[in-house]
Amino acid sequence: MIAADQTQSWIDQHSAVVSIEADWLNTAREKALSHFEEVGLPGIRDEQWRYTNLRALKSHNYSVAESRELLVELPTSDNPRLVFVDGILNTEHSTALNVDGVSTLSSALKTHNSLVEAHFGQALPKEQHGFTALNTAYAQDGFVVQIGNNANLVDVLEVFFVSQSPETVSHTRNLIICAANTKCTVVERHIGNADAIYLSNSVTEIFANDNAHVDHYKIQQESDEAFHIGGVFINQQSSSNVKSHSIALSGLVTRNDVNTNLLGEGAHMEMNGLVLGSGRQHIDNHTEVNHVVPNCTSDEYYKTILDDKSRSVFRGRIIVAEDAQLTNADQQNNNLLLSRHAESDSKPQLEIYADDVKCSHGCTVGQLDASSLFYLKSRGIDAESARGLLTFAFANEVIDRIQVDSVKSELTKIIAGELLSGLEDLV
Amino acid sequence: MLVVKDLHASVFGTPILKGLNLEVKAGEVHAIMGPNGAGKSTLSNVIAGRDGYEITSGSIEYQGKDITELEAEERACEGIFLAFQYPVEIPGVSNMAMLKAAVNSIRKYNEQSEISAGDFLKLIREKAALVEMKQEFLKRSVNEGFSGGEKKRNEILQMAMLEPKLALLDETDSGLDIDALKIVSHGVNALRSPERAMVVVTHYQRLLDHIVPDFVHVLADGKIVKSGDKELALKLEAEGYGWIEGLSEDIAEAS
Repeated sequence: MIAADQTQSWIDQHSAVVSIEADWLNTAREKALSHFEEVGLPGIRDEQWRYTNLRALKSHNYSVAESRELLVELPTSDNPRLVFVDGILNTEHSTALNVDGVSTLSSALKTHNSLVEAHFGQALPKEQHGFTALNTAYAQDGFVVQIGNNANLVDVLEVFFVSQSPETVSHTRNLIICAANTKCTVVERHIGNADAIYLSNSVTEIFANDNAHVDHYKIQQESDEAFHIGGVFINQQSSSNVKSHSIALSGLVTRNDVNTNLLGEGAHMEMNGLVLGSGRQHIDNHTEVNHVVPNCTSDEYYKTILDDKSRSVFRGRIIVAEDAQLTNADQQNNNLLLSRHAESDSKPQLEIYADDVKCSHGCTVGQLDASSLFYLKSRGIDAESARGLLTFAFANEVIDRIQVDSVKSELTKIIAGELLSGLEDLV
Repeated sequence: MLVVKDLHASVFGTPILKGLNLEVKAGEVHAIMGPNGAGKSTLSNVIAGRDGYEITSGSIEYQGKDITELEAEERACEGIFLAFQYPVEIPGVSNMAMLKAAVNSIRKYNEQSEISAGDFLKLIREKAALVEMKQEFLKRSVNEGFSGGEKKRNEILQMAMLEPKLALLDETDSGLDIDALKIVSHGVNALRSPERAMVVVTHYQRLLDHIVPDFVHVLADGKIVKSGDKELALKLEAEGYGWIEGLSEDIAEAS
């Protein structure tokens, strides 16, 4: 058992973690552990965690789980899938193990050791917070998608990370490596068991080589008492096109980092985010777009809907390096507060060192538009339904950007269920 | 059907209506004309129950009942419809979805069962034809990316679907070219009936060539200062508002 507030116990516990047959990985883990020893778990004194109270997270004990049967009923779909239960692969429910290009970290270390070694950790930011360091230190398993030149992942891969055992922690570590001229779509689904308290600490690294197209979805439906810390770190080469969609629907405390490095000319990044907060939920989204070379574009679109006493933080950092001329970067963050007790903190950060660029950003925090409400009410629609329809419409602008039909229709259903009680069949 | 007595109303604290009287019977079409800033839009918004439009004294009776305490949605369910001067865009909610929610909400209020999917589809197709609206518009988000004319046709489509007893048309002609004006007027005329009353608020006489009113009222400085038949609208068009007694000089000049 590890008491999260004691940095030392995470370190002591580490010796029990199974050593992996790849020396380089063991070295990386040891190195990450000593980095963690230096930085520890973040607290409100850290600028990036100022508005994020981790007291509840730190008040529990977590242990690394053992293999268990799947107890949670998963949504059905025709897409091939991998299922991890408390961080451990469940072969019974994983149908994608024979799909070309799909494997797990533990098996890829045997079959593609040098490829994994060449990429593992390469997209992580220079300055990592304690959770990312812990993820590397404890990295055991996760999914790996690796696609060779001019190939595609034909189907959409769905990866379920199910957390079901109370007081457990999973440090899943995932890799998407796309060679030149390839395409893939991966949907990560983080699902929790009812009211279980656990910590899900997940890191996904994405490498998009020249002209690779990667569509990455992260749909977070953790339990209402759960802690979710996640990072998606991306390196993009010339003319690559990466779309990241981050949808946070539940969980007590959530922090998602999405960082991309635009390293080759003509690369395009699209980042979409949607947060639905209620109760006492706290949801952080920290994004960073590094325009390192000229002629890249980025388009960021994050929306937050907060009810009750929920809180959110959005930090959107865009860095345009001195050489990154003709950058075109846009960032929008719109926050809708449905309750007077909800709070949203939004912090756009633009750092521009080049002189011939187009960077725009917009940020709003507000309530539903009174004219729109009156419009619907004047058609006989009761106030609650009118608010629901308008809130749904606000969320739908992000959902509309989803290009996988099965994901789009399922999310539409989920969100309509949350916001349109009684009117779900309308959308 | 509608009796407005000595109505005083403020919009976010500013007095706009200052003792307005108006009586509208079933089957009648009344036109409200008047210079800018007279309170024409305020009148329709106050009757429809918009938030922020506060009645400071006087009364609004509709079908024999005082409606001033009713919420906007209750008034709509009682059969009052407001066609907006500036219809609101609602991205993400389809026209069809909004209308279905509206139709069922009104049916529920009136203790009727929900409309079946088949009946709803039949009804909406029939009404869309009335305003020459293509089927694809029904699936599009409410007013999103619609032209001015399409928005106004959409208002009339909604009115046709909801079959109100009292329809308030607020500057329905603004922003319409002549073809769109004809389509909209045709839709409105098709909805005229002995059981339905209409109040048409307009700045220009030209709408009244197409929707011929039974009565014309001049609203100025928060009051009805002159009433007559359709000839009054023609006289206003020719001579302006300057000749009307009781109109303050500023308003006469401004018009």
